[in-house]
Amino acid sequence: MNKVTTSTLIIFFLIAGWVFYLTNIKKDDSLTVRYYSISELASESNDIQKIKVGGYIKPNSIDISEYDQLEVSFFVYQNNDSVKVTYYGIRPDLFKDDAEVVVSGSYANSLISATELQTKCASRYEGDLKNIEKI
Amino acid sequence: MISQIGSIAISLAGGLIFSSFIFLGLFKKFNNQTYLQVAERAILATSYCIFLAFFCLLNELLISNFNLQYVAQYTSYETPVFYKVTALWAGQAGSLLFWSFITALFAVTYTFTTLKKLKTLKFHSYIILAFIFSFFILLSNFIANPFEPVSSDIIVQNGNGLNPLLQNFFMAIHPPILYVGFTGSAIIFIMALAASISKDISFEWVQSIRRWSLFVWTFLSAGIILGGYWAYNELGWGGYWAWDPVENSSLMPWLTLTAFIHSSMIQEKRGMLKKWNFLLATSTYILVILGTFITRSGVISSVHSFTAENLGPMFFAFLAILIFYTVFWFFKRKSYLDTPDKIDSFTSREGGFLYNNLILILMCFTIMWGTLFPILSEAWDGNKIYVGASYFNQLNIPIGLVLLFLMGIGPLLSWNYTSQSVLLNRFKLPLSVSFLSGIGYMIFSSLFQIYVFVAIMGVSFTLSSILGEFYKSYKKQKKASNFLHSIGKMFLSNRHKNGGYIVHIGIVLLFIGFIGRAFEVEKEFSLSPGEQIYFSNYVFKLNSIKSEARDNHYAFLSEIDVVDSSTNQLLVNLKPEKRIYFYWNSDPEKRQPHSELDIYSTIQKDIYSIFSGYDAQKNIGYFKIMINPLVNWVWIGGVLMVIGSLFAFWPSRRDN
Repeated sequence: MNKVTTSTLIIFFLIAGWVFYLTNIKKDDSLTVRYYSISELASESNDIQKIKVGGYIKPNSIDISEYDQLEVSFFVYQNNDSVKVTYYGIRPDLFKDDAEVVVSGSYANSLISATELQTKCASRYEGDLKNIEKI
Repeated sequence: MISQIGSIAISLAGGLIFSSFIFLGLFKKFNNQTYLQVAERAILATSYCIFLAFFCLLNELLISNFNLQYVAQYTSYETPVFYKVTALWAGQAGSLLFWSFITALFAVTYTFTTLKKLKTLKFHSYIILAFIFSFFILLSNFIANPFEPVSSDIIVQNGNGLNPLLQNFFMAIHPPILYVGFTGSAIIFIMALAASISKDISFEWVQSIRRWSLFVWTFLSAGIILGGYWAYNELGWGGYWAWDPVENSSLMPWLTLTAFIHSSMIQEKRGMLKKWNFLLATSTYILVILGTFITRSGVISSVHSFTAENLGPMFFAFLAILIFYTVFWFFKRKSYLDTPDKIDSFTSREGGFLYNNLILILMCFTIMWGTLFPILSEAWDGNKIYVGASYFNQLNIPIGLVLLFLMGIGPLLSWNYTSQSVLLNRFKLPLSVSFLSGIGYMIFSSLFQIYVFVAIMGVSFTLSSILGEFYKSYKKQKKASNFLHSIGKMFLSNRHKNGGYIVHIGIVLLFIGFIGRAFEVEKEFSLSPGEQIYFSNYVFKLNSIKSEARDNHYAFLSEIDVVDSSTNQLLVNLKPEKRIYFYWNSDPEKRQPHSELDIYSTIQKDIYSIFSGYDAQKNIGYFKIMINPLVNWVWIGGVLMVIGSLFAFWPSRRDN
């Protein structure tokens, strides 16, 4: 076997190994997180160590602690289901009623303890028309 | 009136592009050049109609014609003129017209420059161009028409105005720059397909497609870097890259295009790798459309907000057709694209390029896999699994480090074959510098991290290798009267090569910036005026919190003294603000808070301050401080990349 063929074979096996690894990342908990819908979570009785959930903030559910403004709890809803979330930390500017959020953290006793709270970034701003007058 | 002209122009563009298909069909049937000429004119006329529609929309935005839904949604009387212009691409309908506008610009340029020289590619180029063009015109006509009037039973007194987050210079200019890159990659796609279908891959073609690639690459790079710069300076999470699907979507085509720019050099020099290059050139545009599909369909959850109209199925169909067409012609022209020449040795310049290609593609594949993983895993067993930033970092950092070393190894290799003795001789200097800096890091760093260690060695290896190459070229040429003149002459002597080296130095500087991320620290805390806190060798003292009503927002202004605790000297006075936009609105839901950052930026580190909340009753401010080392090197590296690429792209006298 000449040098070029050997090198080609080595490269081939390295790539094959890499691809095999990628197809198996599902088993690696440190790299992946399962996305749950709110309805799935509402009917979930087991605790889950790592979850990611997307939904909307239930109007009038934001409760900021009287003692520490960084402490907040709120409900995330989707259709008719909702789940309570607690979070400690600085909240994004767009955090308000009906804002779309993505929450990551753990789930126990029907409560999400969020470690990460993201609101949808405003790279597109599709709002309903305001300042209108009906004829 | 003007809006009606714009609306008619878009409809007319649709008719014209449709007619171009008919004339292309007639040309195919009767082989009469006149038909081809008419088709060409139809495509050009389509472009002119799109120009007209674009300027009509611009006019309506500038005069605040709120009878148009789009104008009312994205601007108001208070919107500054600059942002009225940038509202052109702030929403779905406008951005699609803007996409057509850039396609039109490229269609005209491609027809009058490239196709003037490569006449045999005209027919197939026009078919593909017309197809791509018609897709976007179709969307503008039937799905998201920017000239759509507001409902007849309402009067809009004032528009919504542009989101304050988007009222930032870099945010305003990064989408169009990125769009130029995205749209430009269509020309590379068209050229690759047209030349293969017509079996006419010539030396001129390779040169021409390389120039287009450099142009597109420059814009893609600038767009990506500017997006990061905006996120860092405006969004307030202290980072510039979050591995979000939208960001990944712009990085994937950048990687394949980078690979293409390198491997097409082998085709230019030795006529090899035609099949591989065909795949790279076509997959760049396919990845652009895949990215657009991801961005605009909402199939993957992203922090970037998506639009209300669902364009997903349309883009999916478009994507499927592009892939099918490309694969079909790839197999049909497989034997034509076969090249008898093989690479003689892997210790050669072309071998180096090949490694670089493999690494870039591996990186692209890894990112694509991670980005699409939620869809793939859901299709597999119904569970939607996301991969976090840890996946992208953990897998891409080692690949990136190999790439960093390869950038230094490449210039040391000769074409065809490099003998062992030559290799040893050339590697001596960069290897020694690399080892010395690695040892230096081990001695002086209090915290040893393996990736930082390898990155420092890689940075010094590649930097010394490239600077060594510059020195060699400088020594080789005839000396001019003074030093600066000699340096200038040296750089101009081979624009492509030296431009490439400048880009590589830019990327090395980016890596220096990336190293800084390993040392980032942050703290969240609350302070009342007069209180102070110690963090990471600095004392942060809150002097005051004041409030002020301004033109379009209400602001809480904080003032923080930052004292260097080692010297006890005042370093800087930071003034992060908390702003409330639309504060006059009686509905609190419509008010929008925004944290205006203040950053103390030096070449070594940034002190990044965010005023995130204010409790007026207790007079307590909530703050976040981040110490981000070496961030400025990312921007310097980015600028150098763009300069280097422009330098390589700019035609020299010899080219003319």
